[in-house]
Amino acid sequence: MNKIGLIEKIMTYLILSALGLLLAAPFVYVISMALASDATSAKLTFTFIPHEFRWENFVRVFTSGLKFDRFLVNSLILVFFSMLGQVLVSSLVAYAFARLRAPGKEVIFIILLATMMIPGEVTLIPQFILFTKLHWTDSLLPLIVPNFFGGAYNIFLLRQFITRIPVELDEAAQMDGLNFFGIYTRIILPLILPALVAVAIFTFVWNWGAFFGPLIYINDVNKMPLALGVQILSATNSAGQIPPWNLVMVGALVLTVPMILVYFFGQRFMDQLSLTGGSAGIK
Amino acid sequence: MKKKEALWFYLLVLPWVIGFITLTLGPMIYSFVLSLTDWDLFTPAKFNNFHNYIALFTTDKIFWKTVYNTLYYAFISVPLGMAFSLFISYFLNRPIKGSAIYRTLYYIPATVPAVASALLFKWLLAPDAGMINRFLALFGIDGPAWLLEPAWVKPALILMSLWTVGANITLLMAGIKNIPSEFYEAASLDGASPIVQYYQITLPLLTPVIFFNVINGLIGALQIFTQIYIMTNTGGTTIGGPDNASMMIVPYLFNNGFRFYKMGYASAIAWVLFLLVMVLTLLVFRSSSAWVYYETEVRRS
Repeated sequence: MNKIGLIEKIMTYLILSALGLLLAAPFVYVISMALASDATSAKLTFTFIPHEFRWENFVRVFTSGLKFDRFLVNSLILVFFSMLGQVLVSSLVAYAFARLRAPGKEVIFIILLATMMIPGEVTLIPQFILFTKLHWTDSLLPLIVPNFFGGAYNIFLLRQFITRIPVELDEAAQMDGLNFFGIYTRIILPLILPALVAVAIFTFVWNWGAFFGPLIYINDVNKMPLALGVQILSATNSAGQIPPWNLVMVGALVLTVPMILVYFFGQRFMDQLSLTGGSAGIK
Repeated sequence: MKKKEALWFYLLVLPWVIGFITLTLGPMIYSFVLSLTDWDLFTPAKFNNFHNYIALFTTDKIFWKTVYNTLYYAFISVPLGMAFSLFISYFLNRPIKGSAIYRTLYYIPATVPAVASALLFKWLLAPDAGMINRFLALFGIDGPAWLLEPAWVKPALILMSLWTVGANITLLMAGIKNIPSEFYEAASLDGASPIVQYYQITLPLLTPVIFFNVINGLIGALQIFTQIYIMTNTGGTTIGGPDNASMMIVPYLFNNGFRFYKMGYASAIAWVLFLLVMVLTLLVFRSSSAWVYYETEVRRS
């Protein structure tokens, strides 16, 4: 790499720091709001730099009848089963597309790719009617069950990943008498473990903060995932009533922290599967 | 053996095929049929020919406004976000210490769920107490009422979209890392300055990444919902901001389908959105031969 002059170096630091501070400022504000007292919150006299430190706000959202404990459990159930469905089914389908030969396979694969371009809104209303007829509203089922049919994007990524595994491994296993399902469980699955973690992370990211689905399917407060619960807390029914903004911001933080943690610990797995991540993968 | 292999294939892809038929293909057909009817969920649906579509394009003034708002938002926020990401990624890629820390700093906002960022920005953009107007006041600028003013609500949403450019930056940085360093070494020997190198080497070789980001960004922006629902809720059940200045396609669909139970009309809106997404994606694809550089072309020359 080329050397860099002192003036240019200072300029670079100045620009990166100034923009970085602008992007970080909202975080300071949300923490300041989350730590404010109820009195400050009611008068809306928040300050940018925290001047009150009501750490108990973080306990209160779970204990004072706000049901954040319930929301959190619902969110965890939602993401856990969504991840389970995507990992199991997407990998199975991806294996079939990567390894097995059958008439019509190419056509099915093209249809699979085409479904990625369909915006969800087109299927929204019929799905809503279907799940309503099944009496699945006010439960997490409409949000979880579709994951057990696999996701086109995950299937595509896993298929690419599996095709990089030498076919000789399959052939050797076949000689040893394993059937195709055995090859999937004994040979392929262990080798694509990092990719499965990445799919689990993608699924977590897509479902943890999901809002539209919960909004149309869940009215019962006890069934709401965190994202919807926090929004409901911020919405007032009558004009002039002020929502507990300090607790709403605690909710926003509780909603955000897992995403940041997943990013920090999951980055290296996601890099392996990202479209631009180059040729990293099976060695 | 071959027959057995094919049978296994069909068996293993069966879950996806069932999902495709019950959750995608079936609903698409059903949705199209619905879009030709009047249906409120409770009384039987009535076919009304193409009246829903005709109404959307002729008598429904709010719908036109909705389409205009959505395109306004998408066509400004996506290129602006891209320019901002390119600007930052240039500096992040300079050989300085601590660039990994900056990269993390720029990425974190992109991890924040839309609900959380919408609630936060509703506050940041508040007229008097909001941080943004208080910041502007430091420079003697009397900031607008942002979300409460028809002229400022869309710029406010665009401003907010810039907060999450970190995802773009990450992809651009990965793209930059894939550019062979020999290109830069050769350019340095020729005496090209870093900025010239950026324009002559980095930018052209990044165009496939930029293309991917623009397509994704556009599709995402056309489907904006959560921010509108949370930030421009003008009290009660009304969404879409002052004078519908921030009513966009998906929130309008939501209003029609899930507030007014006009399921046929909402389905027609969904199909118009689908066509809009398709046409715009196609246009960007078409334009790509003029500005996207693929490495294979570079190798050939």
